[in-house]
Amino acid sequence: MASTALADSRWIARGEERTSLRQFLVWLAPWVVVFALGVYAAGLCLYFGLNQTNMDNRFAFGLWIFLDLGVIALGAGAFFTGFLVYILKRAELQPILNTAVVVGFICYSGAVGILMIDVGQPLRAWFTFWHPNTHSMLTEVTFCISCYLLVLCLEYIPILLRNRQLRKLPSFLVFEHQLHKLVPVLAGVGTLLSFFHQGSLGGLYGVLRGRPFAFRQGFLIWPSTFFLFILSAIATGPSFLMLVTATVEKVTGRRLVPPDLFRRLGFISGVLLGIYVAAKSIDTLIWLNFTSPSVGFAPWQYYSYKPFGLPILFAEIVVFGLLPAFLLTYRRSAQRRGLLLSAAALACAGVLLNRFVLTVQTLALPTLAFDEFLHYTPSWQEVASFGGVLGYGVIVYSLSYRYLPLFAQPKGGNTHVSGS
Amino acid sequence: MFPGVDGFRWTVGHILFLSLFFAVALTILVTVVSAVWRTVRDFRTNRAIELCWKSDFAQLPETERRCRHELAGRVMSRTCDNAFDCRQCSNYSQFAVQSARGIVHDLGLNYSNDRFYHRGHTWVKPEEDGTLTIGPDELAQHLIGSPDSITMPKMGSEIEVNGTAWEMTKNGNEIRVRAPIEGTVVGIGGPKEGWYLKIHPRLDPNDPVTLRHLLRGPEVHFWLSRELERLQLQLRPANTAPSLADGGVLMSGLMDAMPESEWGTVLADTFLET
Amino acid sequence: MNARYGMVIDLDRCTGCGSCMVACAAENNVAPLPQASPRTGITPMLVRKVSNGMEGGAQREVFIPIMCMHCEHETPCVSVCPQQAVEVDKATGIVMQMPQRCLGCRYCMTACPYHARYFNWWDPAWPAGMEKSLNPGVAVRMRGVVEKCNMCHARLHSAMAKAAAAGKREIDPADYVPACVEACPTAAIRFGNLADQNDAVSHEAHSPDAFRLLARLDTEPKVYYKSKEAWVRALAESKSGPGSEVKHG
Repeated sequence: MASTALADSRWIARGEERTSLRQFLVWLAPWVVVFALGVYAAGLCLYFGLNQTNMDNRFAFGLWIFLDLGVIALGAGAFFTGFLVYILKRAELQPILNTAVVVGFICYSGAVGILMIDVGQPLRAWFTFWHPNTHSMLTEVTFCISCYLLVLCLEYIPILLRNRQLRKLPSFLVFEHQLHKLVPVLAGVGTLLSFFHQGSLGGLYGVLRGRPFAFRQGFLIWPSTFFLFILSAIATGPSFLMLVTATVEKVTGRRLVPPDLFRRLGFISGVLLGIYVAAKSIDTLIWLNFTSPSVGFAPWQYYSYKPFGLPILFAEIVVFGLLPAFLLTYRRSAQRRGLLLSAAALACAGVLLNRFVLTVQTLALPTLAFDEFLHYTPSWQEVASFGGVLGYGVIVYSLSYRYLPLFAQPKGGNTHVSGS
Repeated sequence: MFPGVDGFRWTVGHILFLSLFFAVALTILVTVVSAVWRTVRDFRTNRAIELCWKSDFAQLPETERRCRHELAGRVMSRTCDNAFDCRQCSNYSQFAVQSARGIVHDLGLNYSNDRFYHRGHTWVKPEEDGTLTIGPDELAQHLIGSPDSITMPKMGSEIEVNGTAWEMTKNGNEIRVRAPIEGTVVGIGGPKEGWYLKIHPRLDPNDPVTLRHLLRGPEVHFWLSRELERLQLQLRPANTAPSLADGGVLMSGLMDAMPESEWGTVLADTFLET
Repeated sequence: MNARYGMVIDLDRCTGCGSCMVACAAENNVAPLPQASPRTGITPMLVRKVSNGMEGGAQREVFIPIMCMHCEHETPCVSVCPQQAVEVDKATGIVMQMPQRCLGCRYCMTACPYHARYFNWWDPAWPAGMEKSLNPGVAVRMRGVVEKCNMCHARLHSAMAKAAAAGKREIDPADYVPACVEACPTAAIRFGNLADQNDAVSHEAHSPDAFRLLARLDTEPKVYYKSKEAWVRALAESKSGPGSEVKHG
């Protein structure tokens, strides 16, 4: 009964309870402000140039690239959940699939938006497609992320078309039905593309022979960071989905998914995180003992600058890697929601720390004998731009939650439910 | 990207990279084109309405998807899993042999044994000349009273089962009445004629399967009494507790008599809308 | 035969006067950029001051001119550019940057271990009247693209045009002299063809006092440095950590 009294109840699915339109707008208002500020900051950068940021010739990559890489890693839950549900047929993860698509869409569209501001000449973005350099990891990233964003849009469209009013148009409903039938194909393509671009983002740093801190041995043309990035992305994707769903449940005050779904996601995340930690440890040992010394860089020199000492490496592998892997898989801890979510948060923080170390610490460290260790603080325009992405994400997700059947469960019986 | 570009040289890397990229791009393109083409084909072969109905049916609340055999007392509890399509239901024969059980109330609603009733509250009457007449049942008429406007299909047009038969408006509400059976419109009536549409059925009206999905006989009792229960709950004034009165008959022109009720939900459940 | 243009810089002769930096900026139409800082300015040629870390009478300093090393082998910036805006010119060995194709992604800048690449953070602007001093042979770069030393390639073009006008196939080496080489008052910077056995620079590059920066990275830079001081030669490889003798500048 409650939903029929709402001003926009025509747009809300029958039987779904939502807060009043007024409350919803009150919730959205601060995020719209944050988003608007982000747009303004981005506009400044586009109009005046990148001198609006605090990046310079030594810190050519800064906050934006770090957060882009982080956000893409966290958005990996989209392709990975699709892979598990459609390719490996793990139907118990179905309830989280729509959220995964929306979160993925937000993460990738946000990252691409920031990248358009980050480059000096955004209008030349098509040059990469016209003159691709097949040796460059960044070409690979550009191609795969563009295609994958397209795939995510195509996966988002059926969810959009299930809106109560939009589905009343027969052409929309039938198109949604047909597109939904082909979603397994898109999930497969998405998995392939994501495998490559998650890896290539790691490859961006692993191939830098001029930066021995980042440079790694590898397999054929792919440095070890290629595989490590894929592993860390699929390990933390499910954790991030857990955090998003738990937050939405907290904000809306209702239970949206079967309770043991959290434990399942946590278990998948924990196992993959454990594998990642093992691989990373082996890789770190090889790098410390062989790769770096072979080009004349003694590894201990990387950790001689406070506060980027050895504790950072320890934190990355143990505190934010091994510990959450254990908490997420060990039954006693996984059963307690608070511990499970804390572990998920640690895992996500771990992937962000890893991306930070590779993007920012790499550039801070000296290469020439007479270089010094450098510092960099982002400008308010950089922070605000990324705040804009966060605001954008909350707005898109809130609208999706209110007007689309994100968490709709099959309404009993054994009907084929298109899209639940 | 293409060999014509300045300085382009074919290497193994180029071949691998570009073939992979184009394979992926082609797959995405084929998927989208395929979905669009299939959609167009569904409209051409008249499957669109069936697909829309199946999708809408899945969105109905569970209380609106009770199997007719549960209503008739043949089974304890069963949710329809086939969008009310008894013609294609594999379980129909095993249930139909049992007799309908339940208490017959006098509901004060006219329904007759020579008519067949659709769950969307329309009736179908086979005529001697092989056509079928269709009209709204008494419950629907009592709810709406006299509609503000009626939009009928054109003569000679096709209507599909569970698609749109006609549309009405009342007090700002738009009501779409679902067609109980598929056929070609050969006659258009209205409230005065006692029937709304006369159609030439697509399937043979003498074949028992043609009208299998429609309720008849004692089944109609049990279904209507459930519907009246639902109406009593839905039309009660706000903030009152639910109560089920025994006896009493349905008054006519309810939408005019009780304008403050939540007609959106009532009409949606009555006429099987989402 | 393909040339491999390179340099040998005699650090024992470099006085740190900075003429090479000024000449480079003038030749390459680098805008004044008063709003720039040391880390955002454009200095395709940059002289760095390095101390040996000792105190008092034992203190020594050296000036090291740094520019693009024109790496020969697995050139870091070439392999990473997503739209092939950089390439190693086979005829000359010069690493060529195409500002018209540059997207401004700055990946090449993170790849370069010598920090020899510079980004145009601002639109270039010259005070009124100064535009008359611009070199017509060198294109001005717009905001948002990367640039670096290109061994005064415009001067090579002039030399080639001159040779062609005289009907010759090979240029006269005396016609192709980069601005920094021309400006250096002590002739500390020497320029030549490393592939030519008869070229003096080719000989000097093989002298025992010659070294290349970060040679162990295996990028085969074509800029060599030379010094009789052992502590200067030790600067070739990365520092061994804080508390070492080498200070930075």
